[in-house]
Amino acid sequence: MGQATEEFFAALPKRAPAVLRGPAGGTLQVDLTAGNRTEHWYLELAPGSVRVSREQRLADATFTVGADLFEELAEGRESALAAVFRNEATLSGNVLLFLLFRRFFPDPPGTRDPREVAREVAREQAGQPG
Amino acid sequence: MTRVSILDGNTFLVSDERGDIEPSFDFPTGLFSFDTRFVSAWILTLDGQRLQPLSVDDSQSYATRFFLVPGEPTHYVDAKVSVIRSRAIGGSFGEELTLINHSEQEKEFSLRIDIGADFADVFEIKHQRPKKGRTTPSVAANELRLVYRRENLHRETVISTSAPADIDEGGMTFRIRVGPHGEWATRLQVSTVIYGARGEDIRSTLPLGGHRTAAAIHAEQNDLIERAPKLGCDCQPLAGAYRRSLNDLAALRYESIALGVRLLAAGLPWFMTLFGRDSIFTSLQVLPFLPGLVPPTILMLAGLQGSRLDDFRDEEPGKILHELRYGETAGFEEQPHSPYYGSADSTTLFVILLDEYERWTGDATLVRQLEHETRAALNWIDTYGDLLGTGYVWYMTRNPETGLPNQCWKDSWDSVSYADGRLPGFPRATCELQGYAYDAKLRGARLARTFWNDPAYADRLEREAAELKERFNRDFWIPDKEYYAMALDPEGRHVDALSSNIGHLLWSGIVDESRAAAVAGHLLGPRLFSGWGVRTLADDQGRYNPIGYHVGTVWPFDNSFIAWGLMKYGFREEAGRICDGMLAASRYFDGRLPEAFAGYERTLTDYPVQYPTACSPQAWSSGTPLLLLRVMLGLEPQGEHLIIDPALPEGIGRVEVLDIPGRWGRVDALGRSRGPHDHSH
Repeated sequence: MGQATEEFFAALPKRAPAVLRGPAGGTLQVDLTAGNRTEHWYLELAPGSVRVSREQRLADATFTVGADLFEELAEGRESALAAVFRNEATLSGNVLLFLLFRRFFPDPPGTRDPREVAREVAREQAGQPG
Repeated sequence: MTRVSILDGNTFLVSDERGDIEPSFDFPTGLFSFDTRFVSAWILTLDGQRLQPLSVDDSQSYATRFFLVPGEPTHYVDAKVSVIRSRAIGGSFGEELTLINHSEQEKEFSLRIDIGADFADVFEIKHQRPKKGRTTPSVAANELRLVYRRENLHRETVISTSAPADIDEGGMTFRIRVGPHGEWATRLQVSTVIYGARGEDIRSTLPLGGHRTAAAIHAEQNDLIERAPKLGCDCQPLAGAYRRSLNDLAALRYESIALGVRLLAAGLPWFMTLFGRDSIFTSLQVLPFLPGLVPPTILMLAGLQGSRLDDFRDEEPGKILHELRYGETAGFEEQPHSPYYGSADSTTLFVILLDEYERWTGDATLVRQLEHETRAALNWIDTYGDLLGTGYVWYMTRNPETGLPNQCWKDSWDSVSYADGRLPGFPRATCELQGYAYDAKLRGARLARTFWNDPAYADRLEREAAELKERFNRDFWIPDKEYYAMALDPEGRHVDALSSNIGHLLWSGIVDESRAAAVAGHLLGPRLFSGWGVRTLADDQGRYNPIGYHVGTVWPFDNSFIAWGLMKYGFREEAGRICDGMLAASRYFDGRLPEAFAGYERTLTDYPVQYPTACSPQAWSSGTPLLLLRVMLGLEPQGEHLIIDPALPEGIGRVEVLDIPGRWGRVDALGRSRGPHDHSH
């Protein structure tokens, strides 16, 4: 298992109060496949909290994805929904739970605040004659 | 060429008037589902000859019947054989071919259907790109299977026949013998498969199955229409437009892959998917009539709310999406629609819709449930929305290759201009975005005070709204022209074109009372008003073009919100003129207002000229007659009651809407026009 994946799941309980602020909740099975092995993660999402365990259980929704791709999701380099649309990741059950879970994925590395970028562009234009 | 389309949600089929589909790159003909073309060739020949249509029955949105004969069309048809193609769509597509021998002898025929599937993504049709994956046909006893693969992406079109056929990789041939005055028939069934989890169709592992019968569609649509209020009126165009709108809105709902609910697709053929802005505007239009359509839209938009910074998708925390696509180009990130967030108004409009929905329905549960998402949307206005830190909502895409330069409803490249036609730099702050932000803050304050138990937050929002209104009236008003600038450029100067955008300002309430008459005067004045409606851009502006997408055409949806705005400021007569013009125009489209029509003077053409590639049906055009009814009858929820204050345009006669649903149960609204040209009954 990749380091980013490990850290991602380890940080979920601490991040939950800021991310899961609505009343929605439920269970999500995240299955990470590598060759013919599958790592199981079982998440119990609730308002303000996540409980994480390494189990395979019946869940409201299941998200299945290659361990390598998940590593990139955990680093913010890939988009989970795009991966679903090209069938590199699959979803079943109540997709709203997955949409909640998706909020934990970080920004792509190196992304700048758009306000900083826009103000730079505006300043450059102001500096141009005309 | 006449095109005939049938649809059920985001599965739709567009053919020519013979029922044939020929590979085309300029217009999306074919069978589409989830942004993918599953059939791109579907051509019927009889003994090697193409057929000609005698008549087409397209009275249903999901079914069509073509009556065909061989040979070139002449005014004297004496066919000895005819073919009926009877087709329906409901997740999959079925076509019954019937051949009738009109002669007194037994005859042999060779009937062939050429079949092809290019699996093009809607965006590949728009931009003519070659496919990156491979299509492999395979032939079995009673079916032809076309398989498309690109990496893990796997889609199939499976065509089966009930009658025996010689099947090859390019189609099916039926060699048949039919007795005197006899008939022969076969049923062709076309299934579209999108493989997902466990090698099953993606739709089978999610709440709603993709396939339903024509009878099921009919029942479900009828049920929806039955639940809508009944309209009784003297005005035939209004009655026709209302009926047509309900039918089209019922047909434009598609299955969300996530919620197990039906969402509204934006428009046929290019926009058969979820758009933030379109679905919100349509929801606002239909609320008094079909409130049940609204919660799924709100929930889906909230579920997909932006949560991170992503330049490719123009995503920011709190932002409501612009467009969601399920196709190959979204999956492989050749387009950013997974989802794309390049819209500077959907976030504020989301708050406005939630509040308006509660005012009508009293559904406090949804407002409480979405407190966090709504706060995040309100928070977006003053953080990522205010790119320059000047107290306004600005936009500038961070995806120059495939992002949208203009992120307001007029989202074509040249829609925002100075009066002399020059284009401003980025970022841009169009005026209506500020109006929506003002309205969102006031409505957010009501929600905070009434449902979230946070009066301090409500006070803050109201204070911010008041400051925004004052600032806006100072910075956007052009004193010598007596209207609001279309936008501010990055240096804060007026982008001074006279545009329909100022009509949305009335709807938002950000216009100072003292200036409202001047704004109304411009909207109904000769530069903006064509006689049918308000042009997107005044006819003396540098970029004006009566058939330019956002620079001179008349958009029915735009007009419906302008009429609502006029009503809010008490300009009932002016609002009535817009309603009247729109209803008059709708007559020329069989009650189905298109996305846009040309901005020519009404007196010049006498009929509204449809914009060349306009989408139809288009959700927010279908919603237009509904909102016009609300405006004419002066419907406004107030507390637990519905205020009814009719002001009908002269000549329209009696209008009654029975059983308007809402927190009051159901009430009736009646109105009658009064004028020298109205009969007294």
